[in-house]
Amino acid sequence: MQPISDASSSAHSADRHDRTTAGSPHEPRLRSRTFASMGTVVSLAIPAALPESHVVEDALEAATAVVEQLFAELDRTFSLYRLDSEASAMARGELALRDASEDMRRLYVEASEWRTLTEGAFTAERPDGVVDLAGIVKAHAIREAGTSLRALGLKDWCLNAGGDVLVEGSPIPGTGHPWMAGIVDPADRAALLTAYPLASSAPAASTPSKSAKRALATSGTSERGEHIWTAGLRAGRGGGFSQVSVAAADIITADVLATAIMAGGPQTLDLASGRWDVDILAVKNDGGLLATPGFRSVASKAG
Amino acid sequence: MRIRAGISSALASAAILLVGWQAGTHVSDSNASAVTTSSSTGTIGGSSAGSAGTGTTSDATTGTSSGSSSGTTTGSGSSSSSGTGASAKAGASAKAGGTYTGTSVETRFGTVQVQVTVKGGVITDVTALHLTDEEQRSVQISNRAAPLLRSEVLSAQSANVQTIGGATITSDAYLTSLQAALDAANF
Repeated sequence: MQPISDASSSAHSADRHDRTTAGSPHEPRLRSRTFASMGTVVSLAIPAALPESHVVEDALEAATAVVEQLFAELDRTFSLYRLDSEASAMARGELALRDASEDMRRLYVEASEWRTLTEGAFTAERPDGVVDLAGIVKAHAIREAGTSLRALGLKDWCLNAGGDVLVEGSPIPGTGHPWMAGIVDPADRAALLTAYPLASSAPAASTPSKSAKRALATSGTSERGEHIWTAGLRAGRGGGFSQVSVAAADIITADVLATAIMAGGPQTLDLASGRWDVDILAVKNDGGLLATPGFRSVASKAG
Repeated sequence: MRIRAGISSALASAAILLVGWQAGTHVSDSNASAVTTSSSTGTIGGSSAGSAGTGTTSDATTGTSSGSSSGTTTGSGSSSSSGTGASAKAGASAKAGGTYTGTSVETRFGTVQVQVTVKGGVITDVTALHLTDEEQRSVQISNRAAPLLRSEVLSAQSANVQTIGGATITSDAYLTSLQAALDAANF
């Protein structure tokens, strides 16, 4: 828990003068690159070590190129916005799933398994029966990108694709400081609701059975509208959520559960918090918040 | 002796109630849909806890507890030990009642510990003190999402963050997002 309290207290130096202030060595120095893909913007950040800044620049350029290529490739296969994609051919009925590429079939199987695990809240098919893997493709791209970054030998990085985040290491290399991920307030998108520490190693002592949460995914209605299919589910306007954030060990679990809880409402929230080792912050339609203990302890430490 | 036995059996049944309630919650959860992997454990857990309950009360009067009761049929061993713990107090306060804390019970759901409030020989309250998350089943309770006041998290407004999570940001919206500001600052 030490890194968490360090990070948050330095952020609140205005309230607590006994801690280091902004601009100290505790404030991470980062370099980042962005590119557009899958209808959103992807951002890759790594710590900037001053003495060898050109090395950092080169590593970042190379890593960004690899990640960008990977996203572009998956988008060419899975995008329903591209008429020439495999997914579009399937939507038009020109290509059967059994004749599709191995990537397509594998991801479809994975999505189908999640449908079972979430008891129908997450689904890989639109109400009209068209296979739609949009709910899992971006997370899949982030996961693959993470594998590539590790293969490149990068030890500390933060990958953000349209608000879904996967991290490795620390923003201050070697310190164990977590990456602090702010979570946008759906009612005021220029403000943060809270911040959550993402780290490669599990927080110590107090939660021994908890795994490290390296991924954070958020699902909501405010930006892309009703892109979550709620067929057969009573998400309910009254009991429903306007935004759901899930922190998990991996980005697929985080992303799928965030989507599932948005679609399935409080019942799926209870299912998810019980069945998986995750932390959840849900914003209700009436503005109220629901949080699992992981988010509650973060809040109490930040406050 | 009668009070002792009564209280210990009450504690035993309270523990069983609790475990049964856990199992019951779970079953009702999974009833909502057809498919589940762990609902079967819930059902099995409920029945084994029930059968453990039948043999419990007699042990309590002996005052000796085998705290090292093992495995799934645990309800009996540990609830009897809680009975003896409680009976010392019960003897003093007699019918006035009081609050009694049971010892930790190892169940297949993890560790369970209950606190029972007795008034005039009647149980008025049962509180779960301890539910570990050794197994998924009890995490469902201990990891349950609970209401959080915005004032409790508002201080995060000024948090020193390195990245921003939010519902899918489109390319257009990116330019007005906080993440864009962070990326620009890190350039």
